[in-house]
Parts: sequence; C-alpha cells; structure tokens
Amino acid sequence: MGINRILNHPVLGPVENKKRITFTFDGQTFEGFEGDTIASALLANGIRTLRVHEETGAPRAIYCNIGHCFECRVTVNEADIVRACMTPIQESMAIESGKVQPAPFNTPPEEWPRTYTEYEERNNNQKDGGTNA
Amino acid sequence: MLDVVIIGAGPAGLSAAIACRESDLDVLVIDEFPKPGGRLLGQLHQEPTGEWWNGIKETEILLNRANTLNTKIECGVSCHHIEKTETGYLVHTSQELYKTKKLLIATGAAETAAPIPGWTLPGVMSIGAAQVMTNVHRVKVGNKGIVAGVNVLSAAIARELQIAGIDLHSMALPVKNTVTKDHAHPEKVMEGLVRIAHLAPSPFLRFGSKFAQSSKVRDLATKFYPKGGFKMWGMPIHVRKAITQINGTDKVESVTMCDVTPEGDVIPGTEEIINVDFVCIAGGLYPLSELASVIGCPFRYLEELGGHVPVHNEQMETPVEGLYVAGNITGIESAKVARAQGAVAGYAIANEPERLKQAMQAVKKIREAASIQFHPQIKAGRAKIHRAYQEYV
Amino acid sequence: MKETIICRCEEVSLEDIVNTANTHNCSAREIKLRTRAGMGYCGGRTCRPAVNAVLEDLTGEKAGHNVPLKVQPPVRPVTLSVLGGNRNGH
Repeated sequence: MGINRILNHPVLGPVENKKRITFTFDGQTFEGFEGDTIASALLANGIRTLRVHEETGAPRAIYCNIGHCFECRVTVNEADIVRACMTPIQESMAIESGKVQPAPFNTPPEEWPRTYTEYEERNNNQKDGGTNA
Repeated sequence: MLDVVIIGAGPAGLSAAIACRESDLDVLVIDEFPKPGGRLLGQLHQEPTGEWWNGIKETEILLNRANTLNTKIECGVSCHHIEKTETGYLVHTSQELYKTKKLLIATGAAETAAPIPGWTLPGVMSIGAAQVMTNVHRVKVGNKGIVAGVNVLSAAIARELQIAGIDLHSMALPVKNTVTKDHAHPEKVMEGLVRIAHLAPSPFLRFGSKFAQSSKVRDLATKFYPKGGFKMWGMPIHVRKAITQINGTDKVESVTMCDVTPEGDVIPGTEEIINVDFVCIAGGLYPLSELASVIGCPFRYLEELGGHVPVHNEQMETPVEGLYVAGNITGIESAKVARAQGAVAGYAIANEPERLKQAMQAVKKIREAASIQFHPQIKAGRAKIHRAYQEYV
Repeated sequence: MKETIICRCEEVSLEDIVNTANTHNCSAREIKLRTRAGMGYCGGRTCRPAVNAVLEDLTGEKAGHNVPLKVQPPVRPVTLSVLGGNRNGH
C-alpha cells in the first residue's frame, strides 16, 4: 500500500477496505490499492522517477497527472506505452520505466552508421543504450 | 448511429448527458481518465456559508442520476480525431470509431505552464496534479513543498493540501521571464489576490478587498508588502518573492528564492535556499479546445475567458452544425457553472425549449453567486463570444 | 544558472528559441519547425501557451482569433494498430 498514503482525511474520511494489488516496476515488486493508477501506486511507495528523457537521459516524473503532458509514459507488459497517470494498476502488471534511446541523427551525417551491423556495434559499446549511436 | 457523443465526463459532460437521457436520446459519454467526474473529483473547499464543496460527493450525485437514466459512460477512452460528415460526426478513439448525429465537446481546461529553471525535475508538478494525487488517489505528493504561482486556483489547492496534512513552506511567484510575465508581476498578482481576499481570514487581505477598485491603494500595498508575507490559513503568501530556480540532480532538493521589485525584477544578493522535496507550478488554466479546432470550428481569443474559445451562443451551440460545447472549454469558470452549462447544452441538443430556458437562467444565477471568480470580466467575455456567434448565422 | 526549458518533450530552452529567432530572423511557424518547440510527444498541450508567448515576444506576431500553431490530428499519440483498425476488430 505504501508509505505515502493519506489514510485519514478530516473531510473526505478514512481510506479503508481497499483490495491490494501486486505489480512490478523495473523488476521490483510493489503493492497498491485497487483504483490506483500506475503513477499513484508508485508515488505511494516513494517512487517518483518514471522515465528518463530519451535523448538526454534527464529524469522525469508525473507533471500534469491528468493525461495532458505525457511525461509519465511507461511500458506495460513489454508491449504498450501508456501514461502512468491514466492507467489503473492490475494484478501482476509488469511496468518498465522509459530508457534512453539511440539518437543517431545527433551526430554529423558523415558519422552516421551505414549498415545495421555498424549501428548495433556502436550501440553495444555504450552501456546505457547509447545517446549517440 | 448515436444521437450524441459527449467528450468529457466532467461536471459539464455528465449534466449534459443527464439532460439528453431525460429525452431518451441515444447518448454515449467518453473520458480518458479511468473514473468519471473530471476535475470536479479533486475539488474540496469550504463555501463562505461554512458548507464543504466536496467534488467526490458532487460527482456521485451526478453519476447516480446518470445511472438511473441508463447513461452509457466509457472511461479510459481517448479521442484523437473527429471528422465532420454529411450526417454528423465520426469520432476516432483509442477503442472504437463512433458515428453520431450530434457532438458535445466538454474537454475542460489544461494548465498553463510557468517555466522555471529546473522544472523538469521529478518532484515538480502542476498544482492540479497535486490536487488529484491528494484528494482522488489519497497519496502524499511529498513531505514539504512550495507553490510557484499565486492565483485563485493555487490558493484553493494549497488549502486542500494543508487540509490533507501536507506541509507547505509558502506560496511565491515564479521568476519573471517571457512566459511567466503577469504571473511574476507583483502588482498584477495583487490584483488577482484581492479577488480571493474574502476567502481569507487575514485583516490585511480584507482591507485589500475593500480597496480592490483603487489601483493606487493596491500599488501601495504591493510596495509595502511585508517581507515575511501575509498569512492565509497560517501559510505565508509572498508576492514580493520569486522562485528563481529549482535545485537537485535526480529530484527536487531545494528551491532558490529571491526578493523582487514591485515589477517582479529580481533584487540581487537576496538569494535564499529553501529545502523542499516537491514544487507545485501554478500558471492558471486555459480552455482545452484542440478537438474543436480539428473540426474547424471558428475561435475567438478572449483573455476574459482564458484564451482561445470556440465561438458559441447562449445555447452552447457552435456555428458548426450539430457541434456543441460546454464547461471550461467555453471559458474558465467554476465547476458549478460548468455543470449548469452542461444542462443547457443537453436541453439544446434534445430540443427542449422550456427546460433550456430555465437552464440558461440557472447559469446566470450561479455565475452571479460565484464565491470564486477566475476572471473579473467574465460576463463581458461571455457577451463578446455570444456576439461573435451572430457573425456566423 | 540552469537554463529555462520551455518545451519539456523536446527539451527546447528559451535560449534555443531566442537564438534561433535572432539567427534566422524568422516567423513563429519557422521557429517552431527549426527548434521543434511544441512538436513533441504531448502535441504541445503543456507548452503551447508558453511557446506562443515567446514567439509573440520575439516576432511581434500577436495572437489572433485563429488558434496559432495549428492543431493537427491526431491530438493524442496513436499506435499503428489503432490507426490501421486492428483494435477491436475494425
């Protein structure tokens, strides 16, 4: 359920009888409440950072929390890229944070890889996935 | 083919759906958030009468009524495109392609950013994000925070965070730049502050509200604004201090705050580091009208209404046949006004002239009685947009 | 002093936009195309008013009644399966 819950509220009342849901984020197991979004369940567990900027690697978390800014996008079950703030958690959901992606066009054209093998080789040389393949 | 698709299950969309269902129209409401209610869900404030306005309860009332009338509401569905056809509209969504005769866009508002150096760090969020996290998800956004931006919305939400037991250092202005301009200008911010003064217990602010008409008095008050800020509900509100930078490597660790001149320029040598783990950015709201724009609806830029607004009349009809708008997309006002506007749109769509007339009266009454006004010239703005409609008929 | 990012998606700073405007002496639309401000994943929903304010300041092009920097569908990122109609049997 997490360390950052507001279980009692002077006007809205207590949070009680919530079904617990188990999910993973980057391989680590967490618990949230039914009705939580990915973003709220993670923040309840003290996790803010949901992805890094694909090119610069700068960390990002929720910004608008209502689906407008797309800063909180994560990968669910190795398939869908979703907004963490708009997606309810489900039992056994496997969530992955957004990582740095290769940005081959950030270098001058003469340095661009000419074959896929070349592209992969350069990529493998950079542990984090490579910002400049 | 559906009679009407309503985009947005907030106060406007839900009350419109209810009005349409009363006439047994085939209605579908879609919303991309997992729960219906829109931004009404997060709202929680005490009325001048002492009564609480609880958005979750208000949403339940609307939903119960909608459910009694067997209203179809689909959540978690995003609309990305709308096409106008001979007979109506094609609504492209993440789930299905819906065909409908009439369309109501009730997508509400989006928050205007107030960019400050460091505002992409985890822990920086819009003030609305903090509201939803606190009141809807019941999760603490952090241990100690600060609000950058002093306006009607941020004061109301700061109070909500306090009620939930979240520690706020203070509210201050965002640093002045090309974008933050008016939000970073103490004299202009004071103008806005006096409009919410009646909500605050501070004698100074009540004093301010008395002289709201006199810019001279307001400017004097800005000039001699105390260094420690004036307290609203025990929390300092600074209009002569600005947050110039948000610090941290992987997340928010602190902010840098500086004194500013009455025009908002930073006074060198006044830097102060304040340790916080979250920052709320409050740059106000603007009507979220992208879908109306995609259809080709004409617009007017009206500052009184918060930005670009689709042209519409008092019945919430746009010049595009079968296209209606309601709620904050028509101008930034309270959820109560949005809800009343939804009923107007609903009765207009259902072609119920008697109920429509009553609903239009209700909007005017609610606007008159509003305890929080987002813009003082709202009525003038409404008159302008309704006049603009006449150019298209 | 950190730079002021205007467009979060593409990490375009105020400085980038000002430099582009000064170097190329161009229209609001051209600045947007050159810097990619407002052209990222969110479709400009977060930074649209900010980009408009900067461009208005730099080019003197006042916000007219038409929505500046035209809104184009799709207004949300869409997967190819949805566009291709593979979801829900279309």
